Amino acid sequence: MVVLNINGSEHRIDVEADTPLLWALRDELQLTGTKFGCGQGLCGACTVLLNGKPVRSCVVPVSAVAAQPIVTIEGLSQDKSHPVQRAWVAESVPQCGYCQSGMILSTVALLNSKPNPTDAEIDMAVTNICRCGTYNRVRKAIHRAAQLQSGEDAAAKPTTV
Amino acid sequence: MTHITRREFVCAATTTLGGLALSLELPAQENARPLAAAARPPRIPSAFLQIGADDSITIITPAVEMGQGGHTSLPMIIMEELGGSWKQVVVSDAPAAAIYNNPMFGLQATVGSFSVRGWYTELRRIGAAARIMLTQAAAHSWKVSATDCTVDDSLIIHAPSGRKCSFGSIARLAANMPVPQDPPLKTVAQYKVIGHPQPRTDIPDKVDGAARFGIDLILPDMLYAAVKTCPTFGGKLKSFDDSACRGMPGYQSTVPIEDGVIVVARSYWQARKALERVKVDYDLGKLAGLDSAKVSQQLHAGFAEPGIVARNDGDVESGLARAAKRLEATYEVPYLAHACMEPMNCTAQVTNEGCEVWCGTQNPQAAQTGAAKTLGIAPERVRVHVQYLGGGFGRRGEADFVTQAVSAAKTTNGKPVKLIWSREEDIQHDFYRPAAAIRFRGGLNADGKLSALECKVVSASAPSFGRPGGPPFFTEAVADANYDIPNFRVTGLNKDLGVRFGFWRSVNHSHNPFMIEGFIDELARGAGQDPYQFRRAMLQHDTEGARRQLAVLDFLAEKANWKQREPGHGYGISAFAAFGSYIGTIVEVSMQGNVVKVHRVIQAIDCGIAVHPDNIIAQMEGGMAFGLTAVLRGKITLQNGAVVQTNFNDYPALALLEMPRVESYIIPSTAAPGGVGEPGTGPIAPALANAIYAASGMRLRSLPLSEHQLSYKAVRI
Repeated sequence: MVVLNINGSEHRIDVEADTPLLWALRDELQLTGTKFGCGQGLCGACTVLLNGKPVRSCVVPVSAVAAQPIVTIEGLSQDKSHPVQRAWVAESVPQCGYCQSGMILSTVALLNSKPNPTDAEIDMAVTNICRCGTYNRVRKAIHRAAQLQSGEDAAAKPTTV
Repeated sequence: MTHITRREFVCAATTTLGGLALSLELPAQENARPLAAAARPPRIPSAFLQIGADDSITIITPAVEMGQGGHTSLPMIIMEELGGSWKQVVVSDAPAAAIYNNPMFGLQATVGSFSVRGWYTELRRIGAAARIMLTQAAAHSWKVSATDCTVDDSLIIHAPSGRKCSFGSIARLAANMPVPQDPPLKTVAQYKVIGHPQPRTDIPDKVDGAARFGIDLILPDMLYAAVKTCPTFGGKLKSFDDSACRGMPGYQSTVPIEDGVIVVARSYWQARKALERVKVDYDLGKLAGLDSAKVSQQLHAGFAEPGIVARNDGDVESGLARAAKRLEATYEVPYLAHACMEPMNCTAQVTNEGCEVWCGTQNPQAAQTGAAKTLGIAPERVRVHVQYLGGGFGRRGEADFVTQAVSAAKTTNGKPVKLIWSREEDIQHDFYRPAAAIRFRGGLNADGKLSALECKVVSASAPSFGRPGGPPFFTEAVADANYDIPNFRVTGLNKDLGVRFGFWRSVNHSHNPFMIEGFIDELARGAGQDPYQFRRAMLQHDTEGARRQLAVLDFLAEKANWKQREPGHGYGISAFAAFGSYIGTIVEVSMQGNVVKVHRVIQAIDCGIAVHPDNIIAQMEGGMAFGLTAVLRGKITLQNGAVVQTNFNDYPALALLEMPRVESYIIPSTAAPGGVGEPGTGPIAPALANAIYAASGMRLRSLPLSEHQLSYKAVRI
């Protein structure tokens, strides 16, 4: 029995300790937004956030994450309203869409550490593979998400009287 | 042709409750009449279009969605004539049935950039027929003349009396109206949907994990399966020993298939682990000695054989003999894998009633017949539920993964089985883009004009279809070149080596343009001419192909400021016809030692009427990225009859870091729509190779770049 903390709630699942987090999410918790692409941590389709940092869930066994907070694409917002999701829709980024959960979560992690990333920082941080070649729209959407997010942060600050 | 069954059709026709379907029964002759006949009634509208009592408009698309935008562009075409509200559109995939066969080539397959150009007329006719039926129903109920009624935003309006009703309220009545035989269609100038921005219907669910790909299907009591097959092409399973799997958690069974084994377990991870423990003995087959060097030798040996004549204008031998200057060169490209992001997978359930199959497929009827053959049942007893495809690129037109899933599901007493390939299985058991080579001989006359060109095309396995007596399929993009060359001879030879080959995005246009457009560039240089002007001079004749290709070249040259090129930078140009469109690219590079720095890529397409412009731009960029991956390092190597590469570590895809700056343009046109999903893949290879020559004097006659000790960098501003 393993306890996982996914998108803010605890789940007890009965899997072998070496089961990759990817398959626990997909097959046990039916969170299929996290995708299988390579099984070796090479492509990033399975990216989730572990303690806010992007990890490739296909090479992380459940035994290694016990109870640490994990965010999957399903946990980003209830209504596609996260700034990165909105930017993705606004820029019509996805084509087949299979890699996009991972792209979006890599972006969320990037913007958490660098709210206004340069192109070079994007190049280094977003290493997910997209065979449809959506990269230039991904880049535009990251910049747009950064703007959306900074606008919201500014709006969220209490106004001083 | 598969006959649509009543059960299946009703299933397709009743995706929304309470509403109407414009007709529920197919006339018996529907399957018999020629699909591409000119004057004919539209296909039964309700197979494509359902209007619910709640005003929802469900559009059943004959094209699957694999990122190319078929779930938006085809509905746009119907909606243009229907006059419905776009907000009401719900998109659903068609089941396997002949009524969904593409009017242009007769198969229900989302391939060959055929969707929009094949369905453009028929879907407008269907939309128009449905609009007329709705209007007539409203007019009938109001006892007014239908000609006084108009349609706007899902409303039927009778202006003289001020009456209005919604599509949904009249749909049931409309179902009883006769289907108009030859509904009049709008002119291009009247379009309000086609050519105008519409958000892609599939995108919102692709940003929060809600989109369901084949691999995401979950059914009650579902089991999981992992598969491994013989590494060598044509190899067979001899024997296996699964005793080490017994007692492993979740392990259910090992299912032998012709070329390997499938392990079924309670979870996919359990199936993968158990599969590793199965000992398998293969008969490696007669290709066990094949390697890449032998493939290359075979291609070159093919130059000495006659081949099939694909084009023979003038007299190439005497043209070459008379030439003032002669050039010869041989070009070659390797096998390539598709590497769709979603590994091959399929879920199947086999019961006494028949079989159900869920998968992302570009060819639902191939999935249906594949499953039926595996079970020895009639295709009508197989229902195919098409899911989103995590990439297709031609790979998902095959049904090998479907038959495997069905083979497993027939052993599980009615429990559904989801079979998923490993990435390694995917890279090593693809249907590969064939390796190919062309030997060119060209002759320039004293004025520096190309007076004779001979092209010997040799492909290491290729589909043989095509018009009987016509040019071999794999000479496409060479034999049909638009250049005016007085003595022009093309031959094609298929060296069938037994390697599994298939359709890879852009198919022959993925590599033939690299070769012929590279050699054209060599000829231009040999003539001491500007490569753009040299091409221009061969496109002055009055054919549609020459005119449109010339317009693409001129457009590109202007955008790239060809006349005032950046000193020290190399520019490469290429343009050609592909999939009913005209496409071209200019690449600007500079060299820093062995590093090719790409400053920008400029692409232009004349695809006729641009149905969904933003999506066309996306397809051009994506197609270019797919082509660039192959140019930079795409290579499938064979050793001992098996593929050496295994995963994205040794078959790496382009990374975001490497995506160059791209400008993509659509050249306005009122010609019939051409293809857009595939054309974008081809031009980058010749344009980049020609640019490298311009910058360095180094001529690339084979791919990938990585084999020429060159590295690559995308330059940002």
